[in-house]
This record gives sequence, C-alpha cells and structure tokens, in this order.
Amino acid sequence: MSAEIAKLPTEPARRKYELFDDTGFDEVPKKYRKFYRRWGGEGDPLAPNEVLCPVCKIVIRSNRELRPGDRVYCMACMARLRVAEGPDGALVGLVEY
Amino acid sequence: MADFLSGYSIQYWLESCPQGYLEETEYGHKAGVSESDLILGDDLLREQAIKVTTQMVVGERCALAASSGLINAAPDEAAKRFLATQTLDEARHVEIFTQRLYDLGVGKNDLESTLREHANPNLVKFAEALLEKVEAKDFIPGVVGQNIILEGMAFSVFEMLYAGNQKLNPKFAQTLAGTIADERRHVGFGENYIGALIKEQPEKRPEIEKLQKEMSYYMLATFADQFRDNDARAELETMKKRAVEAGGEESQGTWQGANLAELDPEEMEALLASTVLGEFKTRLGRIGLEYQTPAQP
Repeated sequence: MSAEIAKLPTEPARRKYELFDDTGFDEVPKKYRKFYRRWGGEGDPLAPNEVLCPVCKIVIRSNRELRPGDRVYCMACMARLRVAEGPDGALVGLVEY
Repeated sequence: MADFLSGYSIQYWLESCPQGYLEETEYGHKAGVSESDLILGDDLLREQAIKVTTQMVVGERCALAASSGLINAAPDEAAKRFLATQTLDEARHVEIFTQRLYDLGVGKNDLESTLREHANPNLVKFAEALLEKVEAKDFIPGVVGQNIILEGMAFSVFEMLYAGNQKLNPKFAQTLAGTIADERRHVGFGENYIGALIKEQPEKRPEIEKLQKEMSYYMLATFADQFRDNDARAELETMKKRAVEAGGEESQGTWQGANLAELDPEEMEALLASTVLGEFKTRLGRIGLEYQTPAQP
C-alpha cells in the first residue's frame, strides 16, 4: 500500500498568498472584498493567484496559486468559473452554466 | 435552474450596493461634487451633455419597464427576487440621470419635452423591439434583450463615457461608476440564467437571434446618428478641441487601448460599435446562441 502511494504523481506545492482588503473594490459585501479587484485593462497582468472573470471583467483573487481545473466564483456577477490554460499559457476563467 | 442564484439575496444586494459602493453618495456621486465648470460654462458642451444624458434616461426608462415587466414572467422565485433588485437599480439609474439633466439646467417642467426633443428615434425603436417581447411575457427573449443586449451595450458605452469623464468631470464619472457596478450583476444574471435555460428550450434560439439582429441594427443606427450626422460631427470636433484646451491631450482618457482625444468621430463610432458587437458575439456564443450580423445603417 505504501509503495503504491509512493508511485502517485506528486503536484508541486502551491504558493500561498495573504490577501488584504486594500484594492478599493467595494462591489460585494465587506468580508468578501479581498477576493476581488478591478482590472486595469490589457496592461494589467494577473498574478498566479488571479483569474479574470470573462462576464464582468473583475479579477478574482485566491489565497493560493490557481491551476487549471480549479473552480472559482465571481461574486460580482454570480458566474461560476473553471480555471483553464489559455492559448498563450495564461490562466483564463471559463463560465459553467 | 436558478442554482447560480443560491448565494444571491436581497441581503446580499443591500450589503453590496446601498451599503457598498453607493454608501455616502447622493444621486450616485459624492456629496457636494458638482458638474464640471467646463461644461456648465460652455453652451455647446452643456447642450451636448443634455443630448447624451437624454439617451441615457431613455435607455434606463426602457430597462426599468423591461426588468419590472419580466418579474411576473420569471419561472422561479429566485429570478423574481433578482429582477426585483434589478428593477430598483434601473429606477435609480432613471433618477440619477434625470437629476443630471436638472443639474445641467433643464427645468423640471421641461423634462418630458426635452426628452421628446432629443431622444434618438433609433434608440426608441431599439427599446420598442425589446418591450414587445416583455409585454408578450416572452421570458427568454426578454431577458436576452434586456440583460445581454441592452445591458451589454450600456456596459461598454458607460465604460467609454467613464474613461472620457474621469478627469474632466469627476461627478459624472462617479455616477457612471456605480451604474457600471450594477450592470455587472445584470449581465451576469442574463448570461448565467439564459445559459442554463436555453439548453432546455433550444427551439427559442431563432426568435432570440432575430431579436438580437434587430436590436443590434437600431443600436448601430443610434451610434451613426450620434457620430456621423454633420451637425453632431462638427459639435463633437469642437467639444473635443475645447476639452483638450481645458485639460490637455490626456484629459479624455484611454479606452480599449485608444486615447479618446486622438480619435475622430468615425474612429470613435467604429471603436464603440466593434467593441459592443464583439461583446455580443462572445456573450451569445458562451450561452449557445449564434450571433447574427446586423445590417449596416
């Protein structure tokens, strides 16, 4: 049993992020504001713990590094998203209805 | 069906909107802020601001009639409650943009005549196409027309106006910022709700696509009237010149990567139209509808 576990592919540990409510985003109830920020347009790069909501163009922030397959929720527009890798390798959010 | 609305409640709306980004505002902007002196002191700019704000009041009156009309046609309780909050959002938009007309010098007794004088006939036809579906209690086309087409258009137009007014007219920009925040919920509801519903009722697709094509045409015709008409074009050129004189080249901001001060009216119309139509195409594609290219006015 322990030999089988040893063979399982291991995923590199995810980086953790401490989020502060310092982005000025005020479109959701206070306790959730730290998980979102406004997007500054094409010149505003996303961090590894961030993904853009394609429905309302708000950046969703996680307290850990995001990876393809993760599911996130955009509270600003109520869209449920699955994180995927875009054509350029950057993470994108795909809406799940 | 309304699973995505499970986290939504009137309480959520209260904490996000009146107790969130609208806290300590009056008529959508910070207390004590007034219209820019540049606009109030220049008859041409003031008149143009009245014309633009008229279209916003007309559009928001349509949105108010549509969202309130859709409540009783909604198939479940969660959607009815969402549309009730949207109805109040739209009523607020009507009120704040009407207040802007008053702030620009329109007398209260002259409001309706001002709206009749300046309302763009193509925008009125855009509204009529949508309200026909709402009056027939045709829910899915009504929500697509209201929450994807109308709100999608408003989202882009308001963002462009926000970029153009952020430095020159902070009061109007603040009013727009709160409205844009509301629109996020409205387009989110439209996409999420219809995205699920259209899978259950695919026979509705042709009717919805026809409505999208019709509304898109009237939208483009409205843009054409605003930017291409010779008088409007001359006014826009003069306005831009005066705004640059007052605030410099950077005063009108950037939108979609373009410096608005550098665009001539045709370029501005093309940028706005392509952005809005591009968004329609993307949004409709996501929910399984085929975008229909409208005729060019």
